[in-house]
Amino acid sequence: MNTIAEHIADFLKEYPPFDNLTFRELSEIATSIRVLNLEKNDTLFQINDKLHDCFYVVASGAIHLSVIADAEETLLNKCHAGDILGLRPFFAKNNYMMTAKAREESIVYGIPIATFRPFVANNPDVLNFLLESFANNTWNPKEKENLRSKLASDNISYVDQKSEMQYFQTLSYNRSPLTATINDTAKDIAFRMTENLSNSVVICENFLPIGIVTHTDMCSKIATGVFPLTITMKTIMSSPVVTVVENVSLAEAQLIMLKNNVTHLCVTLDGTDKSAVKGVISEHDLIIAQANNPGVLIKEIKRATSAKDLKHLRDRLTELIQNSIQKNIPLSNINNIASEINSAILKRSVELSILDLGSPPARFVWMSIGSQGRKEQLLLTDQDSMLIFEDVTPDKYRDVRDYFLKLAKRTTAILEKVGYELCPNGHMASNMLWCKSLTDWTKQYDNWMNTPGENSNDLSSIFFDLELIFGEKKIFEVIENVISKNLEHNVLFFDFLGNDALRKNAPLTFFKKFAVEEEEPNKNKFDIKTKALMPLIDGARLFALHFNIKALNNTYLRFKQLAIIDNKNSDIYLNCADAFLTLSKFRVNEGLKNENSGQFINLEELSKLDKEKLKNALAPMKELEELIKSNFKLTQFS
Amino acid sequence: MLDWLKNINKEYPDFWKTYLAKFEHKSNRFVVFTTETSGLNPEKDVILSIGSFAIINDCIQIGDSFETILLQYKYFHDNGLSNEFILESKMKKLSEPEAIQSFIDYIENAVLIGHHVDFDVDMINSALTKLGCGRLKNEALDIDVMYRKLMEINDKEFSLDELSAIFKLPKYYRNSPAEDAYTIALLFLKLKKRLGIK
Repeated sequence: MNTIAEHIADFLKEYPPFDNLTFRELSEIATSIRVLNLEKNDTLFQINDKLHDCFYVVASGAIHLSVIADAEETLLNKCHAGDILGLRPFFAKNNYMMTAKAREESIVYGIPIATFRPFVANNPDVLNFLLESFANNTWNPKEKENLRSKLASDNISYVDQKSEMQYFQTLSYNRSPLTATINDTAKDIAFRMTENLSNSVVICENFLPIGIVTHTDMCSKIATGVFPLTITMKTIMSSPVVTVVENVSLAEAQLIMLKNNVTHLCVTLDGTDKSAVKGVISEHDLIIAQANNPGVLIKEIKRATSAKDLKHLRDRLTELIQNSIQKNIPLSNINNIASEINSAILKRSVELSILDLGSPPARFVWMSIGSQGRKEQLLLTDQDSMLIFEDVTPDKYRDVRDYFLKLAKRTTAILEKVGYELCPNGHMASNMLWCKSLTDWTKQYDNWMNTPGENSNDLSSIFFDLELIFGEKKIFEVIENVISKNLEHNVLFFDFLGNDALRKNAPLTFFKKFAVEEEEPNKNKFDIKTKALMPLIDGARLFALHFNIKALNNTYLRFKQLAIIDNKNSDIYLNCADAFLTLSKFRVNEGLKNENSGQFINLEELSKLDKEKLKNALAPMKELEELIKSNFKLTQFS
Repeated sequence: MLDWLKNINKEYPDFWKTYLAKFEHKSNRFVVFTTETSGLNPEKDVILSIGSFAIINDCIQIGDSFETILLQYKYFHDNGLSNEFILESKMKKLSEPEAIQSFIDYIENAVLIGHHVDFDVDMINSALTKLGCGRLKNEALDIDVMYRKLMEINDKEFSLDELSAIFKLPKYYRNSPAEDAYTIALLFLKLKKRLGIK
């Protein structure tokens, strides 16, 4: 027993669970302690590290616990002096589920589990405390305040069970899946599956996954007698197999399954089928891991039978978005989830209309344009859509068009009931102008892009943010190609779009004050949509078209992608991407607060700090404007 | 200078032989130590107490420590000093030969760490000489030297208090050698990291 051990014992007895132990017991523990010094950003342990033989108490500094899901690191908890972390080795054998990283220079006490275990066994209070802190996570600030005991959990579960975003729940799945080759016979594999209690087997070639065989395949292809027991895997496997990266989150896994209509996902090293198999996620894994989450919402949306059902589900999405924002979940992630759910609602609305009207007389595609097309619609803003149907013979044309107009009218009406207002500019499929045959649409895009100035009043740039909601992908691709083709060497079009993007009113006055609305009803409020977000959205679209970036529609990702493609200006793009997220957050918060579209920010309610933040987010816009001017050789007067 | 000549054909105490034998291997252990002394002259002054901790894998091992007071009654008596603090202290108390022998057993072949460690080593060496042993063979690192190397400062020395302040260490009541040793250990871990010493 030395002086320092005494000091440490003195320190520990201030904090639970050590306050339940006698000083003699504490001294014994303190004597076996190891003291670690962590520099800023040093890692104490990482996700999937082997368990250490001790747990930790922060002596000074701050340690942040985070999880990684879908390539985003998310902070779960902050541990300060006296907080306990890394309790996993007490209760579980599997590797760490989170990462502990020093946020500042910190000193940490490592307490060997072997030393501490006897005290736990003899002292129910200590045991209860540890179990409690292992099982729940109090990083909700409100709770933290009135919580006597400070603790940091080591797994993630939420206090509030109602439509909770379990976006970052890590999935536990089978990490040693059965594998087979294409030449194995069904009978052998069935035996192996039975032995291993596994309901799927990954078919590999050179250790790379090429397909998967599940219970369903066995049942529908072998048990029915369609194929004999001696058939090889090659014939009955489902191929290609859908692959995901290792730390995929629950929600994401669910979305991928729904999207591809599969029940199993193959986990590989880099998420493609060109790398080694790491495990298999089955639908069952998801069911175990979920309570109420985006995936469930989508499932319910698919089953909804009326506009009322959809409205109810949309309200739950709002709740989910609000919770996620409170939880400081990155906006880009919330966007992904929300847009998937929004798409599902739109899709279901079209489906419901078809169920009412009977099947369509021709193939068609329903597309979202504008903010939903860009997958960045978090609030109930107005609906923008268009419809393209395939070309039919002239004698049928009228009937076909009438059917689709009816369909569109029904759909927009349903959406209006759900809470998406009708577009004031009439940019909807229910408008005759935007419900046309493929040939007419091709002409329309040709006109817009080759002679942009002539009927300028009806060229709205939102028609270049498209997302397929329902129908034939082929038709959609034709239009994409029309756009692509017209982009080549089209100086006029870019000139037009560039000027359109630059034509926005400046967000700040000459005296660096916010340029607020002068007229009621929004007097003295700041129009964040037109003065701050639109210029960034337009700029991102302009450059995305210019560099022909097709796959990414969303403003944030467009900027991110541009930073990669157009490397010399990457700083400007990255600043814009950040600014866009910041501004979006302001808008969403305002919208959630007042249950509207959040277009007008009430500056009086903002703190000084927030105003500064808002102003700073307006800075990159200037750089972007300069870039547009120089890139497309625009002067003020063209 | 010609110390080694004196030591030829000399029979060392057993504990010293054991200690020397340990240097066939390299150690992964560091021992941070500090001595409190009656003054600054290794020839005349004596060690009053020793405090030390071991560091393994960048962790200070609180259990692997050595802390003792040396009973220097003779020295106090000769110099007419009060020996009250010895009587009052709760720390382990050993006579100088016992303490030095235990200390040697404790440090083994570890790398020694200290603050102005040369002086501490000199003090231990002069105590060893009294016991008919050779000089310490351990490598020794000095945190003040490490810090000056890090900052490229040549014209100034830093006290332990100054270094603690620079690295914003929590204030400990530094009134025992163990507390000094603990502070030095923390500073060493920080400097080691910054200098990239493996």
